[in-house]
Amino acid sequence: MKNNQRKFKDGILQGLIYASTSVTIGILIIIIGFVLYKGLPGVNYNFLTRMWDSQTTIVDIDRNSVTGGSAEENYVESLGITIALDDGYIIIKDIKKDSPVENALNIKKVPYELKEKDVIAKADSTTFRDITAEEAVEVLNEGTGAIRLKVTRPGGGIVPMVISTVYIILLTLMIAAPIGICAAIYLNEYAKPGKVLNVIRFAIQNLAGIPSIIYGLFGMLVFVQNFKMQYSILAGGLTLSIMLLPTIISTTEETLKEVPNVYRQGSMGLGATKLQTISKIILPSALPGILVAIILSIGRIVGESAALIWTAGTVAQIPTALVGSEAGAATLTTKMYWLIKESADLESATSIAVVLLALVILLNLLSKIITKRFLRNRTGN
Amino acid sequence: MNDITKFSVSDLNLFYGSFQALKNINMDIYKGKITAFIGPSGCGKSTFLKTINRMNDLIEGVTINGTVTLDGVDIYKEMDAISLRTRVGMVFQQPNPFPMSIYDNVAYGPRIHGIRKKSTLDEIVEKSLRQAAIWDEVKDKLKKSAQAISGGQQQRICIARTLAIEPEVILMDEPTSALDPISTLKIEDLASELKKDYTIIIVTHNMQQAGRISDKTAFFLTGEVIEYGDTEQIFNKPSNKKTEDYITGRFG
Repeated sequence: MKNNQRKFKDGILQGLIYASTSVTIGILIIIIGFVLYKGLPGVNYNFLTRMWDSQTTIVDIDRNSVTGGSAEENYVESLGITIALDDGYIIIKDIKKDSPVENALNIKKVPYELKEKDVIAKADSTTFRDITAEEAVEVLNEGTGAIRLKVTRPGGGIVPMVISTVYIILLTLMIAAPIGICAAIYLNEYAKPGKVLNVIRFAIQNLAGIPSIIYGLFGMLVFVQNFKMQYSILAGGLTLSIMLLPTIISTTEETLKEVPNVYRQGSMGLGATKLQTISKIILPSALPGILVAIILSIGRIVGESAALIWTAGTVAQIPTALVGSEAGAATLTTKMYWLIKESADLESATSIAVVLLALVILLNLLSKIITKRFLRNRTGN
Repeated sequence: MNDITKFSVSDLNLFYGSFQALKNINMDIYKGKITAFIGPSGCGKSTFLKTINRMNDLIEGVTINGTVTLDGVDIYKEMDAISLRTRVGMVFQQPNPFPMSIYDNVAYGPRIHGIRKKSTLDEIVEKSLRQAAIWDEVKDKLKKSAQAISGGQQQRICIARTLAIEPEVILMDEPTSALDPISTLKIEDLASELKKDYTIIIVTHNMQQAGRISDKTAFFLTGEVIEYGDTEQIFNKPSNKKTEDYITGRFG
């Protein structure tokens, strides 16, 4: 009788455990499936390679070096391109090899190569409005020598956000990684155990638990306003550095703790100084763990929005400075937040989500591979 | 033959916090001999070994008084720990090769002391490995990880690593306690071979081992040296009752 009761209880518990596991996995599959279903159709070549905003540029093209003809419809012989009418606009449909549009220069005489799908809005003094493709071909073939075109390159791509994200990752790591690793070395190798060390550890643990929006607020007040950096990648990078320091320090310290003490003794016993022991034995042994800490930090930077919106801003541009108005930059995540909140453009937002998911999975894989390598090297096979 | 004093220890006391681990130790250790420290666990023999190359400096809360001299120079007052440890090498209980190749392990000591030239390093590595009687076993896999070989081989690599810094004294802290009998014999033969060029101090749990290889033996008990003398005399005619009890296996 008692035995039966026991079996019954065991069965229920086991059922609960299985149910919990399936719920977790189910949720994961639903989330990923939903994001992919909604967002994947929007992820295409243009989405991945274009700027966010459309760009209008005036270019000069030298029409002298044109080669050969083509029987294709609407072929502009003088420029080596075919054009087409698309939704009322004249667009470049195809660019032949050695076409002079590859050597186009903008007004500042900087090369600005034309690409397929670029919209030609104006040629010399003729505005391309309410015009057929055939008429446009005629205008473009008119005369010889230089021609000035007004070209609009369509936007809708995530290139600025990807580049901004990379910049902010690099900046943050350049600031936070050296400081964090040195602090961890101090805590694990130099600091004397006692009250002070306990207080420092307690502070670090608590810093790691502070909500990121508080770091964002701090960054805005201090870096953006007080240091007059404006919304910039430097303000964002500094804010994220402060936010990530506790994590980098504690993860690195854990790795340093795992380095066997006999290595330290062995090295010191050979007459090595403490610094030699740290740089030649301890850090190389701890390197894979430190790399994993850095990769996890990259994951957090990629996923961070609250700490960046009010420090790096939400402008979709490729930053060309560290501070100031040229330096404002939206990362993928902040742009996503902004799209949902401001323009309710949920399609683009989910497409960005797909890219983010792929990035996060890639980073996790990378940290797995490094950990595995590390274990294999340890055992020496 | 006259014995030359290498180390001279007088009135040495060592405390871990308030616990006294070594009590009033006086001892002369002679050049070119193997000196064995025996005694039960916790008797202070390893602690004493570590005061000789100041490895105890690395432990928090240790206070030491008394003097230890190496060739007449006080190692705590007139010498820094780094240069002391290059003259007094140490082999540990657990083989502890670094996670790098065999070559890099042996070359580690010379490298940190500033030797960069490849040919010099090659020479030192080969010489040390030959001295440690392991050259023939590893000469074809110098670039392999030192952690991928057997424990006995690892320990001889560690001895070679110590020899590479050309110390005058080698301290061995129970070097065979983690090894199989055959590897143990090899290390013992090696120790007997090395005493031609080096002064060796070995801590061991294994009394037969002390009897087999050492010239001098010191018996430690609860932080004191109970008896110190020629190994033959300690093992055959101990003058102290406690030594006799320990040697005959009545405790420990």
